[in-house]
Amino acid sequence: MNASNYARWRLAGYLLFCCLILIFPVILNNDYLLNKFMRYLVFGILSAALSFSWGYAGILNLGQAVSFGLGSYAMAMALKLRTIPIQTGAKGLPDFMVWNDVKTLPWFWEPFHSYAFAIFAGVAAPMLLALLLGWFMFRGRITGVFVSIITLAMLVVVNLLIIDQQRYTGGFNGITDLTTLEVFGVAFDAYSANTYYLIAGALCVVLLGGLAITQTKTGLIMQAIRDDENRVRYFGYDVAAYQNFALTVSAGVAGFAGMLYTLVMEFASPTFLAVPLSLSIVIWCAVGGRSSLIGAALGAILVTGVQGTLSESPAFLDTWMLFMGAIFIAVVLFLPEGLIGLIDIGVEAINRRRARTGEDRSKRPAMTVSDIALERSKRVREG
Amino acid sequence: MPVLLEMRDVHVSFSGFHAVAGLDLTVEQGELRCLIGPNGAGKTTALDVICGKAKAVAGEILYRDRNITRWEEYLIARLGIGRKFQVPSVFKDLTVRENLRVAHCKKLGIFRNLVSRHDGGSMDGLEKLAEIVGLKDELNRQARRLSHGQTQWLETALLVAQDADLILMDEPTAGMTSAETHKTAELFTRLKGRHTLIVVEHDMGFVREIGDIISVMHQGRILAEGKIAEIEQNPEVKRAYLGSGGISGA
Repeated sequence: MNASNYARWRLAGYLLFCCLILIFPVILNNDYLLNKFMRYLVFGILSAALSFSWGYAGILNLGQAVSFGLGSYAMAMALKLRTIPIQTGAKGLPDFMVWNDVKTLPWFWEPFHSYAFAIFAGVAAPMLLALLLGWFMFRGRITGVFVSIITLAMLVVVNLLIIDQQRYTGGFNGITDLTTLEVFGVAFDAYSANTYYLIAGALCVVLLGGLAITQTKTGLIMQAIRDDENRVRYFGYDVAAYQNFALTVSAGVAGFAGMLYTLVMEFASPTFLAVPLSLSIVIWCAVGGRSSLIGAALGAILVTGVQGTLSESPAFLDTWMLFMGAIFIAVVLFLPEGLIGLIDIGVEAINRRRARTGEDRSKRPAMTVSDIALERSKRVREG
Repeated sequence: MPVLLEMRDVHVSFSGFHAVAGLDLTVEQGELRCLIGPNGAGKTTALDVICGKAKAVAGEILYRDRNITRWEEYLIARLGIGRKFQVPSVFKDLTVRENLRVAHCKKLGIFRNLVSRHDGGSMDGLEKLAEIVGLKDELNRQARRLSHGQTQWLETALLVAQDADLILMDEPTAGMTSAETHKTAELFTRLKGRHTLIVVEHDMGFVREIGDIISVMHQGRILAEGKIAEIEQNPEVKRAYLGSGGISGA
């Protein structure tokens, strides 16, 4: 299979997946299941965002949940402000502030009266934070595992800050009892098909948009940086800027996913930016295939889907964690490219068989280690 | 010929150890300069300090009369200085074609590259280049599947694709068979004139084949400079190489 053929099949795969998730509500007539599936798709967006920075640019951001949580809180703050007239009277405050004896609305809550601002902030705030953190890290030539440690530390700091500032953030409880988002007369209820289409549409845009970016020269240079950042630097590319771009775009998408998650869950909680979720994203990505956006998204849907099913069935109530663990270990050991890597393995096997049976002699089989050794020894003998 | 690169009394130290100590080197445009010397003479560090990988603690480096001593690596690279490393470094997960595309780029910014497809644009020149280095049949193969010699060739091709004016080569023939070495020498002779090359090399056969002017480094500075015949007769050079079997055994 040559390069352009491969690209065509991959695009077909992406489009097929988009069609499938878009027609899903037609075949599924169950609001409860629809809501569950929305959650899985949101995680799919989140996981695809990590694949963009980790799989393509080699930046393993263990603090991906910071962006997700900030987005989620931005949406929750806007939705909470709309509940004031019902919950605490026309000139009141969000209910948890009243319980915490806050007298006036904090300044940073004010702009969230506007949905437009909230939606902007839900994407812009995580991007700004990532840009700032990335600027310090990448200008300082921090790479690999140290980036992961710093982003993880950032996650813990933001998480503690939100829990600690209960008066303004709702603390452990998060922000609950929200209204339903209504834009241009369309309501986005947690159990409605509208919300499902919004989320599925967002996932399609993220996957296709992300795929488009990875097909540009910028995407190619990101992958080159993942392989050998010094080599890229000596070709004249500003490596830090490219890394920052990958991290920031990924953070923006994760922030958007966070906003959608608030719509599905109808609350925002510090657990949305806690360590367990952040590490789960890494696992989804690894299981599905981190160097493929759709692989990462499928990994998230699959893992959270299986998790949901197993943890709810009485037979596996005590043992579902073991099953999940076994799946992770199996994938990491036997499929380093994740489940999506099975496709490449299959294609290669077909190509090899074809070449062997002589159906298509123009296509050379993939070279094995022994072929290379043979070729080298031949060359040494000639020399 | 105008002077392209001038190093004046350059010092580089790694926590007290002076790898380069008072290096003076002048290279003219279009020249192919060989840099030789016993182990630890500071040859690789000399290349590092030109391309910005190591920073000079004293002295200055002028490129086209511009002082680049304290510039960042990518900015130095943008001036037209390319570097090949001793351990071949290519993008292992990318195909040979993609490797060449990364190296061959006149536009280096993110946003301009966001609107150009990486499999579009002209590939003609790059295919010819791949043919020259014998990688034409490997264009769609991942770089990790290339043999060691092929990887060396690929990195050399990357530097040609980058179209740098000044190419710094650190042991380009390491691990190559004599046939491959000969082929490399041919390629370098072809590059000479249009590009300026500084080549660090141990293989004296190779140096004899390509070199016009040779600079010998010893203990972080230039010991001697001249044609190969002069160098081989130079008593100071002989003394520096003592214990390593003379210059020809290096």
